[in-house]
Amino acid sequence: MAEFTAAVYQNEFLPDGGTDVNAIVTITCTGAGTAGQSGAGDAGEIIIVDTSGSMGPATMAAAREAAQAALAEIVDGTYFAVVAGADRAMLAYPLVSSGPGMVRMDAAARRGAAQAIDRLVGSGGTAISTWLDLAGQLFASVPAITQRHVLLLTDGENRERPGRLDEAINRATGYFQADCRGAGTDWQVAEIRRIAQALLGTVDIIPSPGEMKAQFQEIMRKAMSRGVADASLRVWTPQGAEVLFVRQVSPTVEDLTHRRTPVNPLTGDYPTGAWSDESRDYHIAVRVPAKAIGQEQLAARVQLAMGDDIVTQGLVKATWSNNSELTTRIDQQVAHYTGQEELARMIQEGLAAKAAGDEATATTKLGRAVQLAAETGNDEATSKLRKVVDVESEETGTVRLKRAVDKADEMALDTASTKTTRIRKETT
Amino acid sequence: MTCPSCGSAVSEGARFCEECGTPLGTTAATAVPAAAPAAPPPPPPAGDPLRDAPISAPTRRPAAALPDPPPPPGRRPCAECGGEVGPDLYCTACGTKAPSERDHFEERPASWVAGVCDKAVSKNRNEDAMALLAGPEPGSRAVLVVLDGVSSSVDSDVASLAGARAARDVLRVPLPSGMGTPQSRDAAVAQVFAKAAAAANTAIVAVTDPDSPNPASATFTAAVLEGRRISWANIGDSRTYWIPDEGPAVQLSVDDSVAQAHMAAGVPREVAENGPQAHAITKWLGRDSEDLTPTVGSMEVEGPGWLLACSDGLWNYASDADDLAARVRGAGTSDPLELATALVDFANASGGQDNVTAALARVDHPVLGQNDQTPTPGGEPSDG
Repeated sequence: MAEFTAAVYQNEFLPDGGTDVNAIVTITCTGAGTAGQSGAGDAGEIIIVDTSGSMGPATMAAAREAAQAALAEIVDGTYFAVVAGADRAMLAYPLVSSGPGMVRMDAAARRGAAQAIDRLVGSGGTAISTWLDLAGQLFASVPAITQRHVLLLTDGENRERPGRLDEAINRATGYFQADCRGAGTDWQVAEIRRIAQALLGTVDIIPSPGEMKAQFQEIMRKAMSRGVADASLRVWTPQGAEVLFVRQVSPTVEDLTHRRTPVNPLTGDYPTGAWSDESRDYHIAVRVPAKAIGQEQLAARVQLAMGDDIVTQGLVKATWSNNSELTTRIDQQVAHYTGQEELARMIQEGLAAKAAGDEATATTKLGRAVQLAAETGNDEATSKLRKVVDVESEETGTVRLKRAVDKADEMALDTASTKTTRIRKETT
Repeated sequence: MTCPSCGSAVSEGARFCEECGTPLGTTAATAVPAAAPAAPPPPPPAGDPLRDAPISAPTRRPAAALPDPPPPPGRRPCAECGGEVGPDLYCTACGTKAPSERDHFEERPASWVAGVCDKAVSKNRNEDAMALLAGPEPGSRAVLVVLDGVSSSVDSDVASLAGARAARDVLRVPLPSGMGTPQSRDAAVAQVFAKAAAAANTAIVAVTDPDSPNPASATFTAAVLEGRRISWANIGDSRTYWIPDEGPAVQLSVDDSVAQAHMAAGVPREVAENGPQAHAITKWLGRDSEDLTPTVGSMEVEGPGWLLACSDGLWNYASDADDLAARVRGAGTSDPLELATALVDFANASGGQDNVTAALARVDHPVLGQNDQTPTPGGEPSDG
C-alpha cells in the first residue's frame, strides 16, 4: 500500500500588512508498487510510433527497436496496444477491427506485437490529433482500465489545420497521460510540450537514433512503477484568500494554476496524475487578508487526494510579526525554486525571441538564465546554455549569442528548460 | 454477584457491599424485590436525609453520584467566524488558529454550573486544570475543582488535569453528614476533602516521571455546593469565593502563600500581594509535597449569588472579594458560562500573565440540601 508524506518549507512570518504567503510543499510517495497491480483497476499502455514519410530508414529502424524494448518492459497482465501514426492513426496491434482494442500482455501477445512492429514502415503525413483520439478510443474500449498512459514518438511538425491538435489535447486531458519524445530536429518543441504538459507527461529530444532504445526502456519502466493510478493536489484556502499560483517545481516546472477543479468554494483540486516512489515539490502562493500583529492563521491546507481520500496533508501558515528579523527572511526552498521557475521562463522566452530574430531580447533573457542557472546550481541548464551562448560573466549574466548553434542543442536546452534541481532541505 | 443497591461487584458471602455498605446476604437478598436493583432509590425527602436508616448507615449513597459532564461536542466553533474548527486546529472556513483542547476548554455539566480554563494570552501552555460536576436541578449539587500546575515543573499541565479529575471522582457522591452533629459532619467532610486531595496527589505523582528532578506540582481548590451549604478545601493559592448578588462578597479559602503569611502578620493585602515572593506557595500537591492536608471550611448561603473557584490567573487582577464581586456583577449575566468567559476575558484584557480558570455555580434560590443539618431557613453560617 502506497504511503504519502508531506513537508512544508516556508517562512510563515509576515510583516504588518503583509498578505502574500509562499511555501514549498514536498510530497513523497513510498510503496507505490506496480501499475495495475494494486487491485484498484487495470493499467493500460499505448505505444504510438510516428510512421510518417519523414521517418528515414535509420530512424524508423531505431523506432522499431525502441518500441520492442518498451514492450519488454510492460508487465504481464497489463493491457496494451501499439499505434502507428501518420496522417491518420492505425491500430498496429492487437490485430482487431472491432471490440476491445487492447489486450493483456503475455508472451504470445509480446511476440505478436513485436511482429506487428517489425512491419511498420514510414509513409504519409503527420496528424497528431488523430493519434491522440485513437488512443482515447482504445482506452475506452476496455472499461477495466483505470490507469492510462501513452508513450508518443514523433519526428516531425504537426500538419493539421490550426486548432485541431488542441481540440484533441483537450479531449485527452484528464483521461490519459502521455510522455512525448521527438526524434531528430524537425519537430516543434513548443507543440509537443503542449501535449506533454496537458497530459501530465514529459517531453524530451532524442537527437540520434542510437539513444532511442534506452529512452523508451526508461519511460516504460517508469510508467510501470507508477502503482498509484491517480491523485490530485487538493488546496484549501481561507475565506477571502486568493490562490496566486500552484506550480509543480520539481522534478520539472509545471504551472497548475489554471487547471483547478473546484471541490467547494474554498477548495480546489489540481491534477498530478499517477505516482511511483518519488518526491515532488509544489510551490503554492496564496494572498490572504492581513491580520493584526501576533495573529496566526492557516493560509492553505495542501493535501494529496486519491479520489475522496486524503492521504497526506501539509499546513501553510501565516503569522504576523513586527520582528523584522523574522519577516524579512526568505525560505531557502522558496528562494531556490523561485529562481528555477524564472530560469525556465527565461530560457523559453529567450529561445523564442532568438527564433523570432529579436537578438537583443534573446541576449538579455538567456543572459539572465545563465545567471540564474549559476545561482541555483543547475549544472545541466548551465552546460546546455553554454552550447547556445558564449558566457562572458555568469555573475552579471553577460552573454553573446553563438553564431553557429547546433539545432539539437537549442532544442535540448528548450526541452530541458523545465527540469529543476533540488537543494538540501533543512527542517527549521 | 453484584450489590442490589449500587450494582458493584461483591465477593461471594460478603455481608456488606464494599462500595456502598448495603447489607448483603440471604436476608437482604430475599428482602429485595427482583426489580429493585434497576430502579434508583427514591430521592430522600428534604430535611430528612437519613430517612429511617440506622445511625450507622452510609450517608454517601453511590446512587446519588453525579455523572460526568457530557463530552465536548466533536465540532467546535471558530471564535473568529463561527465556522468549524478542523482536526488540525485551524478553522475550516477562515483559517484562524483555534487553541488546543488543553489550552482552552469549557465545561458545563448543568445549566447553572460552568467553567472556562484558558492558557491566557501571555503564556505558552495551560497548566491550569478544572473538573466540574453538577446535578441537573439548579441549586441542587455542584462540585468545582481547580488545580493550578506550577510552571517551573515538568509536565504540570498533564499532572494538573489528571489531579483535578481524580479529585472530582472522589467528590462525585454527596458529602457525608457524619453522626448528625455539626462537629462530626465537619470532621467527616474534612476527611472526604483530604481523600480528594490525596487522590489528586496520587494522580499527579502517577504521571510524573520518577526520575524528574523537577516533579510536577499543583495547587488544589475544591468547592462543593449542596443546597444552601458550601464546603471548600484548599492547598496553595487557588481560591474559592462566595459572591452574593447583594451585600459583601467573601473569599472563603485561605491561601498557603508567602503573601498570606505576611497578611496574617498584619501587612496590608495590597502590599503583601505585590511584594517579593508574594506568589510563592507554601503548600502544594506533587511528589515533593510535604503536607497534603487541605484547609477546609463551610458556610450556608442565604440569598442568590455565585460560588466561584478560580486560579490566581483571575484573582491577580481583582484579589479583593469586593473587587471581584464588582467584576462579576458588572458582567450583568446570570449564565455561568457567559460569566466565566467574561471573567477570563477580563483577565486576558488585564494582561493575561498567567493561565486563568473560572468555575462558577449559580445559586438563585438557596434550597435545603439533603445533608443540611438545619432544616429551618435562616440558620447561622458556620465556619469549619
